[in-house]
Amino acid sequence: MSATNPDRIISERLAGIVSGAPARDPRDDGSLNDDPAVRPPLVLNNRSFGEVTDIICGYAEHTPGKWWLPMFLLAASVAGIGVTMILYLIITGVGVWGLNNQINWAWDITNFVFWIGIGHAGTLISAILCIFKQKWRTAVNRSAEAMTIFAVICAGIFPAIHVGRIWFIWMVFPIPNYNSIWPNFRSPLLWDVFAVSTYATVSVLFWYMGMIPDLASLRDRADRRLRRAVAAGAKKRLPDLIRAYVFGLLSMGWRFSSRHWHRYEVAYLILAGVSTPLVLSVHSIVSFDFATSVVPGWHTTIFPPYFVAGAIFGGFAMVLLLLIPARELFSNFKDFLTLRHLENMAKIILVTGMMVGFAYSMEFFIAWYSGNEYERDAFLFNRVTPIWLSDRGAPYWWAYWTMITCNVLSPQVFWFKKMRRDPRAIWVVALLVTIGMWFERFVIIVTSLHRAWLPGEWHMFFPTPVDMLTFAGTCGIFLTLFLLFLRFLPVFAMAEVKAVLPQASPHGHDDHDHDDHGHADHGHGAAHGSGAHPGGHGPSHEKEAH
Amino acid sequence: MSQITGEAYQRRLERLAAHPAMANDNVTLPKGSWTGAARALIGLGVAGLLMTVAGAFVYNAKHAVASYSVGVLCVTAISLGALFWTMVFHQTNAGWHATIRRQLENIMMNLPLCVGLIAVMLIVELASGGLLFSWMRPEYADSPLLTAKRSWLNEPFLVVRFFIYAGVWTLLATKLYRFSVDQDRTGDRFLNNRARFTSAWGLLAFALTTGFFAFDFIMAMDFRFFSTMWGVYYFASGPFSCMAVLLIVTGMLRLRGRLTGVVGNEHVHDMAKLLFGMNVFWAYIAFGQYFLIWYGNIPEETAWVVYRKQGGWENLAAVLAIGHFLIPFLILLLRPVKRHPALAAAAGAWLLLMLVMDMFWLVRPMVYTPASGLKSPGPGAMWVDLAAIVGVGCLWAGVLARRIASGPLIPLKDPRLPEALDHRNYV
Repeated sequence: MSATNPDRIISERLAGIVSGAPARDPRDDGSLNDDPAVRPPLVLNNRSFGEVTDIICGYAEHTPGKWWLPMFLLAASVAGIGVTMILYLIITGVGVWGLNNQINWAWDITNFVFWIGIGHAGTLISAILCIFKQKWRTAVNRSAEAMTIFAVICAGIFPAIHVGRIWFIWMVFPIPNYNSIWPNFRSPLLWDVFAVSTYATVSVLFWYMGMIPDLASLRDRADRRLRRAVAAGAKKRLPDLIRAYVFGLLSMGWRFSSRHWHRYEVAYLILAGVSTPLVLSVHSIVSFDFATSVVPGWHTTIFPPYFVAGAIFGGFAMVLLLLIPARELFSNFKDFLTLRHLENMAKIILVTGMMVGFAYSMEFFIAWYSGNEYERDAFLFNRVTPIWLSDRGAPYWWAYWTMITCNVLSPQVFWFKKMRRDPRAIWVVALLVTIGMWFERFVIIVTSLHRAWLPGEWHMFFPTPVDMLTFAGTCGIFLTLFLLFLRFLPVFAMAEVKAVLPQASPHGHDDHDHDDHGHADHGHGAAHGSGAHPGGHGPSHEKEAH
Repeated sequence: MSQITGEAYQRRLERLAAHPAMANDNVTLPKGSWTGAARALIGLGVAGLLMTVAGAFVYNAKHAVASYSVGVLCVTAISLGALFWTMVFHQTNAGWHATIRRQLENIMMNLPLCVGLIAVMLIVELASGGLLFSWMRPEYADSPLLTAKRSWLNEPFLVVRFFIYAGVWTLLATKLYRFSVDQDRTGDRFLNNRARFTSAWGLLAFALTTGFFAFDFIMAMDFRFFSTMWGVYYFASGPFSCMAVLLIVTGMLRLRGRLTGVVGNEHVHDMAKLLFGMNVFWAYIAFGQYFLIWYGNIPEETAWVVYRKQGGWENLAAVLAIGHFLIPFLILLLRPVKRHPALAAAAGAWLLLMLVMDMFWLVRPMVYTPASGLKSPGPGAMWVDLAAIVGVGCLWAGVLARRIASGPLIPLKDPRLPEALDHRNYV
């Protein structure tokens, strides 16, 4: 019975019975299956365990291609410009930004919320999708978690530098001091400090702990190559020496023993459990920064879940924005990140896009329903009505409509199967969503502030070049870190990818090739479940069928 | 990607039918069972409702209507929760839920009953000129706050909206139920894909109708109050309470010796996890809403809360914080509880009680407001509340019991059934 032979797929392929790499149809790579009786494969081309290791470690062991270095240099230069702008800001003062007395938060906090939101997809994939046993997450969790950390780094810059005198930033921490200056524990800004730093810590732990087995694989491979090089008397040993040393340190003595794996799985589940409320709490607290203030457009009760949904929305857009090009640039990447994965993420974009759409409409409806003229004005006129349409309208109407177009309208194309299975279309929508989510924060922050209670306080906000280059700089920092990650670390969670391969299933797996070849099929589980399950074992005639 | 051939699928279905766990006496109740219980429940329900009517004469109609509304809002939340889960499971191509889905669908099919109960509530309000829906009363007709929203809060439009909510819920429930029942007969596995598509637009329609239903039938009882979170807050009561009912129903079926090897402790574990998770979600939403109103501290929002933090209602609020969140959180965190059918069902029953407390806290303070001029008869009048809530609950449960006994207990030919039969939590 084939199910008892986990190596059958590999041996068949090696014997030429099943082709290892069939010609791919770019519109249907074999993962798009609408038969509810068949679970599509999560890894294509019948990859064996060894091949998975070779391919994924290969990304970290070789230069990905000619594109990498120019791209890295470009990203690093932009990051350098950003760092220069930050230094200029610190030396000169926040006056180099376009802030004014009325609009005292603008691009800085917009960028902060934008980046911290981007991070959420990583935690959602690694924690919540893990708890929901969504196996497809294995294709994206590692890179999404990396992205989370880089996004939090970018986010953390802004609150720190927007305080003006950054040398007093230690005051945000409740450190006892001789001047008795204690943080205000009732301020959501202080909670932000705790929420974001906890989030960063747990995200790093999660990412790093999940990577330990894979780092040990890289260590062992470098070690093996090193030994061979020594035996052969080869000269070029330094890169592998560094790898063996660094990965050796980082893998903390991981020996792939079953005891290690057991501890690892328990720890993973605990971290997933701890991270799940964190996903909700971080952005809820970020939303409190606004919602606790009695400012029309800020103070509304739906803000916490609305911000969380928006964060996941923007985060998934960023995952797609980065990984769709990576699919093209790395060889064999598509075996692990299939069209089915992209389709699933497109569906998440659609769902979370409609969640934020729901929140927009609730805000809008309640602003009208409240009968409060300030609330009504903030939404019906300040945000929506173009200034050339009505003299009660506002100059930032275009920002609101950009947000609606990008966040609510553009994902609607994913109602069509064709669109959510087309990487190019997904990439374009992901780009639009990223823009839209930046504008969402801009709309919330600047539009609400620029029309205060008294017309005498009405001001416009104009970003200065320093504003723009600082934001561009954080994009550079983010991309630089991500390119380094792609180059030096395992991009996929190898161990987890292997666990979703058919040959990893202890009871064998549906082999639908056999159905096609006219053999009798055997349904998963019902036919050959485990003996531990009361009805697991199939009746005896099952076995005769094979 | 290859699909499997119809022929091969037929063979798979035949083997599935021969699976020992799929034996007829394991997945159906014997003919005529539960009819007595169902009849008793419905009788009890009718008796409770008659007592509620009596209460309206003994005390006042407003009190009776409010108690009845508490019951209706509870059972509607549970039924909506079942609709929600059915659609989410279809949407996510879930495998493990195949063996519990029929019971979800049975709960969901109580939505037409809920619609009927809501219709009674609406008719009473319209006929009485706004016992609870204060905006219908003539004395507020000139209130500037009301005139500002008159184009929403007016009787004809409310009736139209009621028909929209009722239509959407009934349509979704019957459509999804029919897909499932048809599959039992025909074995057409592609009905799952049609159910998935229905669920996609259905979830959108569900979100909007549930949100606005909560605005119209709870929030608008005090037309001055508003909260953008309100729709989400009412929705959040559905998913966990539905899981609670599901745990109780499957537990009772297992006590009858049914569903052996079909709904095992692995399923109980996952249902209890969802019970736990969605209860925390309720707490998150409830806290978020309360916290922002408290922190913002502006009278048009706080008035509603302040009224519920005095006159004894603050005790109920504390019961909610501790009994709805803190205690269940600490208990359901334990793995053995989640994997024990009786303990998990008991936790579910407790949370159903908390659901009633929550709705009670929302609706009942509306009755003896200072503006109403009514004098509270004291705790002695609690029998009206008890009669109304138990009455509505029993009626709802009786109708559910009848439907459960009337057909197979699981979808018999779901393509994901093998996965669900073999479902396990490894860690």
